[in-house]
Amino acid sequence: MAKQKKLLLVLLAIAVAIFFVLPLVWMLSTAFKNDFEALSGKMNFFPLKPTLDNFVQGINGDLMNVPIVRWIANSLSVGVIGTAVVLIIDSMAAYALARLHDLPLRRTMLSVFIASLMIPGVLTFLPMYMEFNALGLINTYAALILPATAGAFGVFLLYQFFASFPKEIEEAARIDGANKWQIYARILLPSAVSIMVTLAIFTFMGIYNDFVWPLYATTSPEMRTITAGIAMMATGSYTQSYGKLMAMTTIAALPVVLVFIIGQRSFVKAITQSAVK
Amino acid sequence: MKSTAVSRFTSFLFILPYLAAFCVFLLFPILYGVFISLHNFELLSTEHEFVGLANYIEIFTPGTYLSDIFFRGLWVTVQFVLYSVPLLIVVGLALAMLVNALPGKLRGLFRTFYFLPYALSASVMSVIWLMMFDTNAGFLNSLLMKLGIANVPWLTDTPWAWISLIITTLWWTIGFNMIIFINALNEVPEDYYEAASIDGANAWHKFTNITLPSIRPVMLFIMITSTIASFNIFAQPFLLTRGGPGDATKVLLINVLDQAFIRKEIGSASAMAIVMALLIIVISIVQFKLTSGRKGNA
Repeated sequence: MAKQKKLLLVLLAIAVAIFFVLPLVWMLSTAFKNDFEALSGKMNFFPLKPTLDNFVQGINGDLMNVPIVRWIANSLSVGVIGTAVVLIIDSMAAYALARLHDLPLRRTMLSVFIASLMIPGVLTFLPMYMEFNALGLINTYAALILPATAGAFGVFLLYQFFASFPKEIEEAARIDGANKWQIYARILLPSAVSIMVTLAIFTFMGIYNDFVWPLYATTSPEMRTITAGIAMMATGSYTQSYGKLMAMTTIAALPVVLVFIIGQRSFVKAITQSAVK
Repeated sequence: MKSTAVSRFTSFLFILPYLAAFCVFLLFPILYGVFISLHNFELLSTEHEFVGLANYIEIFTPGTYLSDIFFRGLWVTVQFVLYSVPLLIVVGLALAMLVNALPGKLRGLFRTFYFLPYALSASVMSVIWLMMFDTNAGFLNSLLMKLGIANVPWLTDTPWAWISLIITTLWWTIGFNMIIFINALNEVPEDYYEAASIDGANAWHKFTNITLPSIRPVMLFIMITSTIASFNIFAQPFLLTRGGPGDATKVLLINVLDQAFIRKEIGSASAMAIVMALLIIVISIVQFKLTSGRKGNA
């Protein structure tokens, strides 16, 4: 009886898994089909005439005449630079808020930053666009990177970690003559590696996956990020070329799915920590 | 330790870079948005006439264009919230319980399967489902045809457009809620269940008398985050149904961005955005107050 119940549960879990995985498998399979086969309405998971054309054309820039390689490079560099900036400025701010008690307006700033977590993106979207427009920064990498640096999530996450760091170690270092910078760089940062990795995964995925801001903040084809580019294709006249579109989404999904699978553990940790406030 | 002016200054240097980013890319845009909303601010012109609260008054004057697109968009958004939030909670909890009931070795594997779509960007997710839902060549209609069922207009007719938006939303985001529920379920002390078993409680009684009360705070957290997320619905109707059929799935955010970038009236679009943001903030505060109040009674 108990064994049968377990078996039923596993079968149910497999049925549910098919719902989640099938669209991804279908994407992968379609990416290796020519447009004719992709539109044929046949349900063949293994392409009748498997082809690498969609990928080869993509890399050559011939795929629908869009610079996919450039888009991927844009997304990766914007994601990596943005993440690096966030890690540096957030960890410094969190250190100051958690450990430097002579920081002027410390409590006020902490409350304001935490309250800012509640602000919906719609409130800043249009004025941010107008601000970048006025500064002449629309269609630049600055526009794709800078807005992500203002979020308080990382400051809050690291603040909680630094605030619970044992005082004694810091005191001992201070007696040995270490200054604030040395305590931050040599004692607190090395102790926070795992939570910094978590924040890095979170931030990278957030920047890489955003498509609405890059869609409006870039105007020329070569400045698009891959997500904004795909959104353009999806709303444009390319929707019938499923083979090519799926090759493009496969390329787009690859980096972030890899990051996700490798970093799943710390990603899950960050999510559950944000829930247990 | 004595604190000198120099020490306070060096402490301040640590927070300066983030504080600058916060002021320039969060605080300033909020204030600038309020300023813009008080003007007749057209995207392409340089002269901006001060109009006071006129944009806001227009939103709340029935019969005006602004009021029309704001409240129609809001109603569509509210519909999406009403359809999606209960499912995001119930299905999320069901998946968490399913994963937890599996043999230990399989848990991680299935958790990854159910959570994987969450890693994708909205545009990748939408393009995949555009293909799944395609009326003529799509996977779903091909499957239905094999079963002898006529084509379903997944994206081009109601109620199918709504059903498609809900399916994609669940597929894409439910993993997040599931993860939080799994964590909450694991924190319920095992001996509660053992004690209940000794008292002869069946599975349903254990669920309603132990599981649900124990995870209530997490349940309310998910209710709040899911409501806010659903209020911000944009990508799915923007890329999948394009607001259609007609305006049936044209959510508020689509109307705000259309007003700003297609009609190029940033002033009134900003007023719409501010009213929408205030609504979201009020809803989250109300839900938060309700939940912290109830926790005290529990």
